[in-house]
Amino acid sequence: MSRPGFVLEVDDRTPPLLVHNGEGFLLERFPQGTRVVYPPEALPPVRDVDEAIQNALLNPIESEPLPELLRPGMRLTIAFDDISLPLPPMKKPDIRQRVIEAVLELAAQAGVDDVELISANALHRRLTPNELREIVGERVFRSFFPDGKLYNFDAEDRDNLTHLGQTRHGEDVEISKRAAESDLLVYVNVNLVAMDGGHKSTSIGLASYKSLKHHHNSHTMIHSRSFMDHKASKMHHSAWRMGEVLTSHVKVFQIETTLNNDIFGGPIEFLQKREWEWSIKDQASMLGTKRALAAAPAKVRHKIFTDVRSNYGLTGINAGAIEPVHEKTIEAVHRQHLVEVQGQSDVAIMGVPFVGPYNVNSVMNPILAACMGLGYYFNSYRGNPVVRKDGAVILYHPVDYEFSQLHHPSYVDFFEEVLSESTDPATIEAKFEKQYAEDPWYIHLYRTSYAYHGVHPFYMWYWISHALDHCGDIVWVGANRKTVERMGFRSASTLQDALEMVSHSVGRSPSITYLHNPPHLLADVR
Amino acid sequence: MSLADKLKDKKVLVTGVTGFVGEALLHRIIGELPGTTVAAIIRPKGSLTGTDRMAQLLKKDIFKPFYGEGTPYADAEALTAARIQVIDGDLSDVPELPKDLDIVVHCAGDVSFDPPIHEAFTTNVLGTKSLLERIVETGQPVHYVHISTAYTAGRRRGAIPEASVEHFVDWRTEAEAGMAMKSRIEEQSRSAPMLAKFRKEAEKLHRRAGHLTAAADTERRRTEWVAKRLVETGTERARSLGWTDCYTFTKALGERVVEEFSGKLPTSIVRPAIIESAVQSPHPGWIEGFKMAEPLILAYGRGELPEFPASPDSVIEIIPVDHVVGAICAVMATEPELSKPEYYHIGSGARNPLTFEQLYAGVRAYFSKHPFDLGERGAVRLPVWKFPGGDSVETMLRYGERAHKIADKIITSVPRGERTRKYARELDVQKRRLDFLRRYMDLYSEYAQAELQFIDDNVLALHNALEGDDKEKFACDTAVVDWQYYLQELHCPSVTESMRRLDVVRKKRNKALAESAGVLKKVEPSEAKVVAAFDMDGTLLSSNVIETYLWMRLPELDGPQRAGEIGAMLRKLPKLIAAERKDRGTFLRTIYRRYAGADLEELNQIVDEILAEHVLERLSGAAVRRIREHRAAGHKTILITGAVRPLTRPLEPLFDEIVAAELAVDDRGRCTGFLSGPPLVGESRAAWLKHHARQTNIDLSKSFAYADSHSDLPMLSAVGNPVAVSPDVSLFRAARAARWQIVDWKTPSTSSRLELPGVNVR
Repeated sequence: MSRPGFVLEVDDRTPPLLVHNGEGFLLERFPQGTRVVYPPEALPPVRDVDEAIQNALLNPIESEPLPELLRPGMRLTIAFDDISLPLPPMKKPDIRQRVIEAVLELAAQAGVDDVELISANALHRRLTPNELREIVGERVFRSFFPDGKLYNFDAEDRDNLTHLGQTRHGEDVEISKRAAESDLLVYVNVNLVAMDGGHKSTSIGLASYKSLKHHHNSHTMIHSRSFMDHKASKMHHSAWRMGEVLTSHVKVFQIETTLNNDIFGGPIEFLQKREWEWSIKDQASMLGTKRALAAAPAKVRHKIFTDVRSNYGLTGINAGAIEPVHEKTIEAVHRQHLVEVQGQSDVAIMGVPFVGPYNVNSVMNPILAACMGLGYYFNSYRGNPVVRKDGAVILYHPVDYEFSQLHHPSYVDFFEEVLSESTDPATIEAKFEKQYAEDPWYIHLYRTSYAYHGVHPFYMWYWISHALDHCGDIVWVGANRKTVERMGFRSASTLQDALEMVSHSVGRSPSITYLHNPPHLLADVR
Repeated sequence: MSLADKLKDKKVLVTGVTGFVGEALLHRIIGELPGTTVAAIIRPKGSLTGTDRMAQLLKKDIFKPFYGEGTPYADAEALTAARIQVIDGDLSDVPELPKDLDIVVHCAGDVSFDPPIHEAFTTNVLGTKSLLERIVETGQPVHYVHISTAYTAGRRRGAIPEASVEHFVDWRTEAEAGMAMKSRIEEQSRSAPMLAKFRKEAEKLHRRAGHLTAAADTERRRTEWVAKRLVETGTERARSLGWTDCYTFTKALGERVVEEFSGKLPTSIVRPAIIESAVQSPHPGWIEGFKMAEPLILAYGRGELPEFPASPDSVIEIIPVDHVVGAICAVMATEPELSKPEYYHIGSGARNPLTFEQLYAGVRAYFSKHPFDLGERGAVRLPVWKFPGGDSVETMLRYGERAHKIADKIITSVPRGERTRKYARELDVQKRRLDFLRRYMDLYSEYAQAELQFIDDNVLALHNALEGDDKEKFACDTAVVDWQYYLQELHCPSVTESMRRLDVVRKKRNKALAESAGVLKKVEPSEAKVVAAFDMDGTLLSSNVIETYLWMRLPELDGPQRAGEIGAMLRKLPKLIAAERKDRGTFLRTIYRRYAGADLEELNQIVDEILAEHVLERLSGAAVRRIREHRAAGHKTILITGAVRPLTRPLEPLFDEIVAAELAVDDRGRCTGFLSGPPLVGESRAAWLKHHARQTNIDLSKSFAYADSHSDLPMLSAVGNPVAVSPDVSLFRAARAARWQIVDWKTPSTSSRLELPGVNVR
C-alpha cells in the first residue's frame, strides 16, 4: 500500500528540499515552521491493463456494453485527449493507444467500417504526425492516418462544424460536424488531474471559438474556484450545461482513465521521493543530474527535459455515461492527489517545472510559466486556496524570454503588444481578444502549421485571473526581471529576498506553505 | 598725439573683415578710432550680398554696444552708414576701389595650413597682387599694411629678424607651376590606369551592391584623390624649398609681391605668429571659430591625444588677438618710406616665451580642474605626455594605423552579429581618432618642434611710442601676458565653452537615441500608396542560400547521398564565399545549378510538408509583427528575395507580392538548373522597386525597406524609410553614416541551425 500525502513542518532537522525550477531544480532551505505539502505516493496500478479495459468496455456504467452500441454501417467517431495530457508524456504504449485498440477491435468485430479518429485539440496546436503516432500507436496510425481518417480537430473549418443549439444560459454549443453527426462518439480520455474529463472532454475538446468563449473568459475564470473542483468551477458549470445539449444530440460513450503518480523513473526517481529518504544512489544521481544540468548548454538541457517520458500506472478505467463515469474518475483522482491541509497561510511557494500542458515538445514561454504556476498550481486546491486572500505567492522559474515561433506565434505578440499595454484580464479581453481571435495570419498558422490559436494566450491569462485577483503579491525567484516585470510581477534573486519583498503585506514571520509538486497534488484546504 | 587723432578722417580698407583678425580690427576701429571710416571688401556668399553679411556681422554681441541707446547711432544701419562702406567683391577678382582710401589692411587669406596648391597661390599670391594693382590704380599714396605670418621664415632656425625673408624663389614661376598643377592632377586622375585602380578598390567593397553603386564610389575616390594630391603637391613643393607647408610658402611669396610694390606704395608687413583668444578686447577670452591649437586642446581634454610630437622646450609662439589688432592699428598710423617696407613680428617668444611643456601643463591643469563631462563615466582620464620626440610618436601612430587596418580586415570578413557590429563601431571610433592624430601630427609637428625666435623690436618700439591711454587701448607688448592665467582662465574656458554646451545637447540626444535604439516607430496609415519591401534571408529569418538549398534537397536523399551532398557543398564553400563577396548573382546561379533534375512539384511539396515548420520556427517574431503592422496600416507588403520561389510558400499569407527566383523547368516539370530570369539582387531590386512604384503610383519616399546585407544598399536607398536589419559590417557602416534605423531581429533561440526536419528531426 502506498503512503498518503502529508504536510511536513520544517524544523532544524529538515534537509534542503527539492524545488522545481523550469529546466532544472534547486535544493532550498525553507524557514522553520514552513508547511510542506507532499503528494501521496503512487497508488498501486491495476494488475492487468487489458483486462481492466475489456471490463470497462463490456460492463459500462449506466450504458449498454460497447459491443451492443456497435452495428455495421454506423458512423463511429473516436475522439481522444491531445498531447497536453498527461504531463510529462507517457512512455509507450500510451494508455489511449491501448483503449483505442480495444475499441477498434470491438468495432471490427461488429463490422463497423466508417470510423474516424479525432484528436480533441480545440484551439490547441495541431499534433504532428509523429505526435499522433505516439498517442495512438503505430498500428492505428498506419491504418487511419494515410487515408485521412486520423486527424486533428480544426476549430476554424467552418464547413465541418455543427451548431447543436444553445444551453439554457444561451451558450452556443458548436462542435466537430463529424462528431455531431456520428451514431456513436467514443471519447478516450486521460484524467490526469481533477480538472479534466467529464463534459469538459467533448464540449470543450471538440468545440469552436464561438462555443469556447462562453466559458473561456475572464469573468468565468475568475469565478472558477477552483478549476480542479468541477462543482465549484463556473467554467465546468458551463461545460456541463453544454454537455446536456450535446448528449441530447449525440450518443457519447465516455471512457475515462486515471493514472498514478509514478512520474519520474530511472535516474531521476529521486524527484518523487521524500528528501530525507534519499538513498545513496538517489543522492548520487541527484548530484550527478544537478552537475550535468549546470554544465549542459541550454539546448542540451532542453532536449534532456523534452525527452522525459513517465511510467504512469493505470489506477482505473471507467466507461459509459459521462456523469457517473466522471464521478468514479474523480474519486480515483482524489485518492491519488488529495492532501488535507489545515487552514490557509500567508505565503504559498511553488516551483514551476519544465513542462505544462501547452509546451510539450516546445519551450515554456513566460506566459505559459505564469499560467502553469498561477493557473494550474495555484488552482490545485479544493475548498479554499492554499494562500489567504491578499497573501503572497512565491514562484520558482527562470522565465526566460523564450518563445517558439512555430508553436506560439501569437504568444510572443501578446507578450509584446498586449501585456505592454495592460495586464488586467478584463481590460485585455475587451480591448484585444477579438482582434487576436479573428486574425487571419494566426488562423492560417493554426490550421496549416503547428501553432496555437491566436486567442490561446488570452485564455492563459484568464486562467491566472483568479490568482491575480486573490493574491496581494506575486514574486518570482531567480527569474528574468524584464519578462517578469512585463507581466506585472516582481523578481527576487533568493527566497529570502522574496520573503523580504512581501513582508510589507504578510509581515516578518508569515505562515508559509510550500506545495511540493510535481508529482501532482490537490490541496484540500479546510 | 593719440592714434585716434593720427588716424582721424582717414579711410581704411580692410579685407577679410569677416575673419577672426578682421572682425577684431573692425571692432577696434569702430570703438577706439572714432574719426576713422572703414571700407570693407566682402565676398557675397550664397544668397547673401556683402552688405547682408556686414549686417549679419554687426549683429554679433561684440558690436552691440556700438549702436542703440547711449550711442551716436540709432541702429546697425546708422552705424554702417556713418562709418562703414561695403564693397561687394572677391579677392580672386578685385573690384575697383574707392578713390579716397588712405590705408589698406589686407587681412584676408587662406588660414588653412594644408590648402590645395592652386588655392593657396590664388589667395595668398595672386589675390594679393591684384589687390595691390587695384590700389595703385586709385593713384593715391595709400599706406598698404600687409598681414602675413611670422612663419614665412619657414624651416629656418634661431632668431629671425624683422626683415625681408632671404630666398631666391621666383614667385612668378612658382605661381604659374602651382596653378597648372590643378589641371595636371585632374588629368592624371582621369588616366586609364588610375581610373582602373579606383574602380578596383571601389568594386572590392561595393561590387555586391551593383555597378552603379561601385561607380559612384569610384568617382568619389577619384575626386578625393585629386584633392589629396593637390594638398600633397603643395606641401612637398614648400618643403623642397625650405618651408614647412604650402601656407607659409605662399605667404612668403606673397610678401615678395608686396615688396615689389613697395616702390609705388608705402608698405608695412605685419607678421603675427599663432593668433589665439583675446586678453582684453573685445572681451577676455574672445575667440571666433577654431584656430590652430583648439582642436588639439579639445582632443586632449577628451583624452584622445595620447602624445604629441613636440619638443618640450620648443617655444610655441602664441599671441592674443587683441595684441595683434593693437599692433595693426599702431602700424596703420606709421608712415613708412617708399621702397623701404617696414616689418613687424608679433610674437611672444623673444621676450615672454611659452614652451610647449608649459602649454601642456597649463592645459592639463585646466582640464584637471574642469574636466569634460562626457556621460555616465565620470571625468575623462587625461593622458600624461612624456614628449618622447617626433619619431617615437610617429612610430606609435604608424603601429596604431597598421593594427587598425588589420583589425578592420578581420571585422569585415568574420560572420556578422551583434558583437561584430559593436567591434566595428569601436574600430570606427578608433579610426576617427587615428585620422585626427595623423592629420594634426602631419600639420603641426613642424611648428611644435620649431626652434625659431621672432625678434619683435619694431613692435616693442611701436608700443613704447604709444601716448597716454593708447598704451592700454592698443597694447601690443606680449611680455605682459601671464601665460598660465591666460591659458587656464581665458583661453581654455573660452574654447571649451561651446563644446560643453554641445556636450549637454549631445548627452541628451545620446540618451534619447540609446532609449530608442533598435525600436522602430509605429507604422502610421498614410494617404499615399506605400510599400514595405522585405528581404528574406538574414532579415526575416537567419538563413542563407546554401543552407536553404540543403534544407530542400536533403529530405529526399538517403543517408550516404546526404553525406555526399553536404561534402560537395563543404568542398565548394571557399569558392562560393569568394563568389558571394564578388557578385551575388553569379553566386546564386552557381547554387541553383544544383537544383538540376529536381521535380519542382516535389520541391513545393517538401516545403509544404516538411520545411514550412522549419521556416516558420526560425522567423523572427519582431519581423512578423512588423510585416503585419504594415499590412494593418494598409501598406502593400512585398517580399523581395533571391531565394527560390518554393521556399517562400510558408510566407505567402504575409505578403501581397512575392518576388523570388523562379526555377526554370522542362516539359516534365523537372528543374533545368537555370532560372527563368536573372535573380533579383543588388541594384536590380532597387530598379524593380522603382519600376513597380511608377506603375502602381506608389510613393517611395514614404515607403519602407528592410534588409540585412550590403548588397541591398540600393534598395534601401530607394525608399524614404530604410531599415537595416541585423546588418553586416558594410551595411552597418553605411546605415550609420546615413542615419538609417538599425534593428536587430533575432531568430528565436529555440530553433536550431543543425536540426533539419525530415533529416535528423522527427
